[in-house]
Amino acid sequence: MTSTAQELHPAPTLEPGRTILELKGLEKRYPGTHALKPVDLAFKSGEIHAIVGENGAGKSTLIKLLTGVMPRTSGDVIWEGKSEALATPHEAMALGINAVHQEVVLCRHLTVAANMFLGEENSRYGILQQRAMVKDAQKIIDDLGFDLPAHVVLGDLTIGQQQLIAAARATVRGTKFLIFDEPTAYLTRKEADQLFKLIRRLKGEGVTIIYISHRMEEVFELADRVSVLRDGTLVGTRNIAETNDAELVKMMINRSIEQVYHKEHFTPGAMIVEARNLSGKGFENVSMSVRAGEIVGLYGLIGAGRSEFVTTLYGRHRKSAGQILWEGKPVQVNSEHDAIRLGMALAPESRRDQGLCLNLPVGLNLNLPIYKRISSNMLISGAKEKAEADRQIAGLRIKTPTRSALASSLSGGNQQKIVIGKWLAHGAKLFIFDEPTVGVDVGTKAEIYRLFGALLSKGAGIILISSYLPEVYELADTLHVFRRGKLVATHGFRTANHEDILTQALAEKQEKLGGQK
Amino acid sequence: MSTEAIAAEKPKRNYNALFGLTLLALLILLWVILSVATQSFASGNNISNLLRQGSMIAILAVGQTFVIITGGIDLSVGAVVGFATVIAAMLINAGVPVFLAILITLLVGVAIGLFHGFGIVKMGLPPFIITLATLTSLRGIGLLMTNGNSISINNDAFQEFSRNSFVGVPNLFWMVILVGIPAYIFLHHSRWGRYLYSVGSNAEASRLSGVNVQRTIYMAYTLSGLCAAFVGVLLASRIGIGNPTQAEGWELQAIASSVIGGTSLFGAVGSVHGPLLGAFILATINNGANLLNVNAFWQRIITGVLIIVIVYFDGLRRRGK
Repeated sequence: MTSTAQELHPAPTLEPGRTILELKGLEKRYPGTHALKPVDLAFKSGEIHAIVGENGAGKSTLIKLLTGVMPRTSGDVIWEGKSEALATPHEAMALGINAVHQEVVLCRHLTVAANMFLGEENSRYGILQQRAMVKDAQKIIDDLGFDLPAHVVLGDLTIGQQQLIAAARATVRGTKFLIFDEPTAYLTRKEADQLFKLIRRLKGEGVTIIYISHRMEEVFELADRVSVLRDGTLVGTRNIAETNDAELVKMMINRSIEQVYHKEHFTPGAMIVEARNLSGKGFENVSMSVRAGEIVGLYGLIGAGRSEFVTTLYGRHRKSAGQILWEGKPVQVNSEHDAIRLGMALAPESRRDQGLCLNLPVGLNLNLPIYKRISSNMLISGAKEKAEADRQIAGLRIKTPTRSALASSLSGGNQQKIVIGKWLAHGAKLFIFDEPTVGVDVGTKAEIYRLFGALLSKGAGIILISSYLPEVYELADTLHVFRRGKLVATHGFRTANHEDILTQALAEKQEKLGGQK
Repeated sequence: MSTEAIAAEKPKRNYNALFGLTLLALLILLWVILSVATQSFASGNNISNLLRQGSMIAILAVGQTFVIITGGIDLSVGAVVGFATVIAAMLINAGVPVFLAILITLLVGVAIGLFHGFGIVKMGLPPFIITLATLTSLRGIGLLMTNGNSISINNDAFQEFSRNSFVGVPNLFWMVILVGIPAYIFLHHSRWGRYLYSVGSNAEASRLSGVNVQRTIYMAYTLSGLCAAFVGVLLASRIGIGNPTQAEGWELQAIASSVIGGTSLFGAVGSVHGPLLGAFILATINNGANLLNVNAFWQRIITGVLIIVIVYFDGLRRRGK
């Protein structure tokens, strides 16, 4: 493959507005569940079609059927007028159906260029033409307006940048139908803007885009039409111009939008933790404090130093300067163990990498921090272990068949409830939530926010990290803005407007903030 | 086994128990077939012999399983066994009381395990590498200490122990029970056991949940070293010599027993009863093949094929779930 970037983006062969893919009574049943009830839906070429719905509403099932990952139970898939079996991923790709997933599914140890051409390498007499591939890949990347090098190892890029590469990769494969599954979950605003540019450009070329997101403002920014799924049923499809936030949320959850951000105000009590001029890897000279009954929000772009700051506070990394005071007294936090003993709890950013033991039971995950308490003389009390797990599952409304189901079998939202829930029985005083609602649906979000209120009412304090401004804005009593490792601004509850906060987070870069409401 | 007390892991447990049962069924089936096919298999003498043969690998496999559950591997156990026979033989011949000699030998095993933990946790070496290094160097150290000679042990009581029986069961098999029961309670009913699984599943998540990951890894390798040194003592008693080249390849038999017993080399899956059954299945195959006059070369091939078949079906069943 020595083609130029132009040739890699074939001129539109599809007239816009023509129906390219039609679903007739598409249905999927698993033993015991009806994951997708018969769906009738037609996708047109050159449209951006958003699909929204809570976790478990059937979005993933729909994608898996369309990309041939799973066979359907019944119904027809009609591609360009012809009925297709769509039984294998290979078949879907051959038709031109591709997907970009929420988690990057590429080889982290290979270069960007190698990933771009994985499976379609340019070789001559069996020898890889590495330099040519890097050149071609760079051309494609530049062409798309991404400011990224093609010769570096993929794993050296941020998750957001990797996501952009994954999207770029999908565009070079003669794609006619491209599915984005929560692509912006880990992206900064700037990266998201680049991605949106790519999506609009593909649309201009006649590619059909399915865009799945929990972020309403993205749906309104991008989509032409939006379909809503609830409990495996297609509730309806709307033209974007003829609908609004409130209607979609109501269709999704039968609940009004005001009830999602559930904010309870408490009078701040005693000081729990105070950081004085704390510095460490990725952040410097940060001072802040958390009192009982208070949510302290940390907002900033990914890589701005928020996560590094809290993991240092939590003893995961060494501080290079500064002081930590716990309940007014200076303390040394040299390990997670010290932090937990003081009364801190951390629900980390990535539930797969840091939060869960996926191939172990739900009950074990929930009890992991408290095994010491439910054991006597080394031996675990089976009755207590059972009771604690069941209490949490019921209290958090975790949807799992039993406490012994593997954590990997749960949906993202329910997994997140485990990550958060395992600390509730531990009796911590300071809860650190790092991006607690990434990839979580509106209903689960509301439940998580309500949980915050319950923790505060018991006298706990919360540090809430989020890249999603509305979340910290609506929930934090004190909002700190991070930029490039420094704490650059502090606001009270709703005392600043979104534009100012965004400007502070982005600063001199003068970002265009189009679409952010 | 009380299913009430361990309910938090019930389906996995039942499923493991079920797998245990199919392994047990396989073992019994082998025994029935061999009893019919040969005259000597069912004799008391041969059964005792079989139990003796399987016991030592079984104990090694238990220690190995702890390590594999954390996602690691211990390649050194065969070398530790050989080295331990030398230590035990030298101490006993030097007039150290047998009890003390055994204790010191076991402590040597603990020290080797701690060293592995140190290499993995503090030096950041992969388990495969650090235990491979110990595998070769321990044999060398043993050969240096003995000048390449075998040391005959001059203590009849010590040697008789492995030949004797208690209520009709060989003492060596009692040792399996002596190790197996505490190991079972440790792995399935103590929080340290839970931590072995959680570290093997996701070390970072465990660390952030307050699990002392480093201590857990130290513990796994120390227990494996301890089991290996204990087997070394038993082997010294059985053959009456100390020789660092003994137990060649036993680490692979221990790993094979563990894997046949349902342990996943990716970590976080395994039990105590599985590896024990695995070890006796392997012992039965070797014993039966001898009785059937199967060429010893073939025995190795059969063992290899069997490992593939059993683990393949285990994998199928897992995916089916």
